[in-house]
Amino acid sequence: MMDKKEFRHIGKPLDRVDALEKVTGKPIYVHDMELPGMLYAKVLHSPYARAKIKSIDTSAAEVLSGVKAILTGKDTSHKIGLYLVDKRIIARDITRYQGEVVAAVAAVDEATAERAISLIKVEYEELPAVLTIDDALEGEILVHEDINELDGGGVFFPQKDSNIASWNKTIVGDVEKAFEEADLVVESKMYLPAAAHTPLETHVAIAEADPYSDKIKIWTSAQSPFAVRQLMAKSFGISEAAIQVIVPSIGGGFGGKAGVHLEPLITLLSKACNGRPVKLKATRREEFNQLPTRAAMRSRIKTGVMKDGKITALKVYYDWDSGAYADYGANVGRTAIYSGAGPYEIPNVEIHSRTLYTNKVFSTAYRGFGHLETHWIIERQMDIIAQKLGMDPYDFRMKNVLKPGKRTISGEIITESTGSPSDCLKAVVEEIDWAGYQSDEERNRQLKTGKVRGKGFALLHKAPSMPTNTATSVIMQMDGDGKVKVLIGAIDMGQGANTVVAQIVAEVLDIPIEDVEVVWGADTDKHPYDWQTVASKFTLMGGNAVIRAANDMLGQMKEVAAQVFRCNVDKLRHKDSHIYHVHHMDKSLPYSKLARGYVYEDGSAIGGIVIGRGSYIADGLTNLDPETGQGLPALSWTYGAHGVDLEVDVETGDIHIFKIASAFDVGRVINRKLIDGQIKGGVVQGLGSAIFEGYIFNEDGQVMNPSFTDYKIPTAMDIPDEMVSIFIENPEFDGPFGARGVAEHPMISVPSVIGNALYDALGINFYELPLSPENVALTIVNNTQKY
Amino acid sequence: MLSKFAYYKPESLEEALSYLEKNPRTRILAGGTDIMLLLRRNVEICEHLLNIKGIPEANTMSYTPNEGLFIGAAITVNEICEDVGIRKRYPSLSGAADNLASYQIRNRATVVGNICNASPGADLAAPLLVYDAKVHIASTEGNRIVEINEFFAGVKKTVLKENEIVTGVFIPDVELGDNSVYLRKSRIKGHDLCNVGLALRLTPEKRLLMAIAAVSTTPLRLTELEKSVEGKEITPELADWIVEEIKKYMNPRPNSVRSSAEYRYHIAGVLIKRGLKKLLEKEAN
Repeated sequence: MMDKKEFRHIGKPLDRVDALEKVTGKPIYVHDMELPGMLYAKVLHSPYARAKIKSIDTSAAEVLSGVKAILTGKDTSHKIGLYLVDKRIIARDITRYQGEVVAAVAAVDEATAERAISLIKVEYEELPAVLTIDDALEGEILVHEDINELDGGGVFFPQKDSNIASWNKTIVGDVEKAFEEADLVVESKMYLPAAAHTPLETHVAIAEADPYSDKIKIWTSAQSPFAVRQLMAKSFGISEAAIQVIVPSIGGGFGGKAGVHLEPLITLLSKACNGRPVKLKATRREEFNQLPTRAAMRSRIKTGVMKDGKITALKVYYDWDSGAYADYGANVGRTAIYSGAGPYEIPNVEIHSRTLYTNKVFSTAYRGFGHLETHWIIERQMDIIAQKLGMDPYDFRMKNVLKPGKRTISGEIITESTGSPSDCLKAVVEEIDWAGYQSDEERNRQLKTGKVRGKGFALLHKAPSMPTNTATSVIMQMDGDGKVKVLIGAIDMGQGANTVVAQIVAEVLDIPIEDVEVVWGADTDKHPYDWQTVASKFTLMGGNAVIRAANDMLGQMKEVAAQVFRCNVDKLRHKDSHIYHVHHMDKSLPYSKLARGYVYEDGSAIGGIVIGRGSYIADGLTNLDPETGQGLPALSWTYGAHGVDLEVDVETGDIHIFKIASAFDVGRVINRKLIDGQIKGGVVQGLGSAIFEGYIFNEDGQVMNPSFTDYKIPTAMDIPDEMVSIFIENPEFDGPFGARGVAEHPMISVPSVIGNALYDALGINFYELPLSPENVALTIVNNTQKY
Repeated sequence: MLSKFAYYKPESLEEALSYLEKNPRTRILAGGTDIMLLLRRNVEICEHLLNIKGIPEANTMSYTPNEGLFIGAAITVNEICEDVGIRKRYPSLSGAADNLASYQIRNRATVVGNICNASPGADLAAPLLVYDAKVHIASTEGNRIVEINEFFAGVKKTVLKENEIVTGVFIPDVELGDNSVYLRKSRIKGHDLCNVGLALRLTPEKRLLMAIAAVSTTPLRLTELEKSVEGKEITPELADWIVEEIKKYMNPRPNSVRSSAEYRYHIAGVLIKRGLKKLLEKEAN
């Protein structure tokens, strides 16, 4: 265990560093930005899920006064893609989903651009489309005729002549033999629909692309400016250095703003307008229709257990209805093969995760990166098995949960440093006073009152899903007064990265938090590299880089101070903005006297400007074996659990949550206030997926609820009566002060915990999300023969 | 927005009516909470937009004992929520108003706009139907009054002619002991459209009046059903009978994104039972 030393800033419930600015409306978002000579873009979308573009007539739009450029698929041959390069910037010849960009206009104002769009005539030939998981697997129609040309780079596995963008596998032991020997085999089929990120700020970007050189300057609402740069450089065949990406404040991302989205399109438009800046902002409808979503998923799961509750075999098919392009979807699918068994030790495992192309809006990263989905399956299945075994679901989980010395399904050995899922589960089970499933008599007694109470819990785990060489970095400079300005490449989109960085800097340097400013507005030309702001990895990786940068600063100051005091560097310590001699404490210099070199009384100077640098790269990770899925994919696991106490209105199907308790082994709390907000926000977002949310498609593959009128998310009136955050602090040996990431985790397993509590309440197992009043009430009606 | 429209805000009803007469296909703006969405999404293209909020009659809300309550066309839903007299005399109207959209939208949305928009799920329609409200209509040809039950003509359609304006809606006064309730079911507890909205009214003479929204092409007053229960005491058995009977009058869309028809049938029954129970409880107090 880590020593229990008192910290000055770490663990304290400090306000966010941007709190005052945010509440006074000061920050500038790309939506606010106007540049001299700026043009406005609008796009035309395909009305069909799959159609041949027979002709496009832009003549009427071209002659409209104020129109500066019109682009269609024939104007660009560039393809783009995060892992699989499969998407044209503008559709050409064929459209693959309703909402896909078919043409784009830049004009002097938005009204003109919109009018021009309305004047473009496209002749389509509607084609039969791939709209279901079964259609996709059948492969009679191919979403991508050229799938055989896709290169998965040994990490993703597109299947020949199919709609399978990637088929990733884990094979450990012998499941079939284990099923034969098992006392009980439980099979289930479960489903959850596609879901939207619904950030407050829709996607927006401005590009200024020099027509005479490769230079491109972009202001965008992106989570990952360096990824935008890298992906665009790859797509356009230019140097990354030619592209400058600036991200001012952004209003929420949740994964939907990772990768590259509107940027390539407006770059082409800007080029077509002689380099004038062009702005494109997505409407809320486009946010649902054109921009990517979280994939729907269907799973068939089969588990073998012994009478004593030991799981001996698991076989799962995860089939992701991932839409028209692979984007992050393929990596969501890959993640399922090393985390898709839940935090359990299982000796024989076979997981098939298939990312499928369909003619629907494509999918991308969404907070949880596949784990909310896989845990809906796994954590429901755990309860169903416990019911069939006649075992308490708590005891059943504890029997199988990962512990130090055990192996994950990809072969990684869990250590004390990994954290403890059991501690999390114990904490929530105590918090909700779990005493086992209620008896049938108790259930029937309550049913007569029209309202039934139920309790449930669920476990979860997640590790960052990222390349083996993922890295981040920090640069910080000390001003003459000893204050520090810090540059990072990650984006604070609400998760609080900048506050956490300020706390760590202030802690390591032992200075007041007010003396640290994390410079807002990441700029790839000025800020140091960060891979992407995704994967809940920044506190861990960025935090370590910050510690190194701060220590680098201290080292530089001590070197100069050692000359001043004429002593060895190792005799020097630091405290409260001073460097001092460990034996002669009167020999002490404030940072302000060292920050820009030390000046002697006679005016002569030594030393230099104090600039600290730190970087952190994931090490020891390996790619997964293509056939068996074995390897070391996880830099750091974070475990968690939820417990819930709720009541169901048996007639209306309404769920009223009295209390939801959530525990996470975060290693070390860096900021108590931020982490509490992070957890509550994530849990409510999870409740959205659990109870309300989901894309609805009609039989032609059109999104029927592309607005907040019919895509409902929880409001203040829909949140639980009480939400309890519990922090377990088993330190991560390599974490900054022992900390782990917990940004995505709060939403994982929220659907499963509600589903499990519904079983306790009603004695009915639910297999499909959302657990809407309609779903719950009609399921009860169809099960009434039970009572 | 592709619409390019002329905007006119007259100070009198006469000016408004003559503008309407001269400019066919003029759309009327009161709260704007429906029309602005249609225009922004280019669902409708409009050439003339007539803002009626400057018309004195439209801004009138007045209650005359023994006669009734007049709600002008520019009176907002929040003004209804805040009126204690309405809450006392017409509780189901207040109840429906409380549940319409969100506070911010209720600050702009008008009662008359809610019925003129003629959504099958208009929250305020059901209470107005059980109170036999009268729609006051004006045009250059003169004034007419249409019973609310004859006002709706289909999904998003009313009997209004192009040159007509609804100046207000009149609700006859109620006797002491008159009571009503409004119940609705939506997908979330916060701001949402209703899946079913139900108004039940019980007069001092024990006459039961019923209206239901979002279950057919228009909000429905259940006159026939009312007749068949006339003179009967409200018992759990009668409630069960109504629950079954009401389905005959419902005609919910089979493929609505908001709710399956099955759930609408189910929930209408639940609301009937709960509404009747609530009515009896209120009466007992």
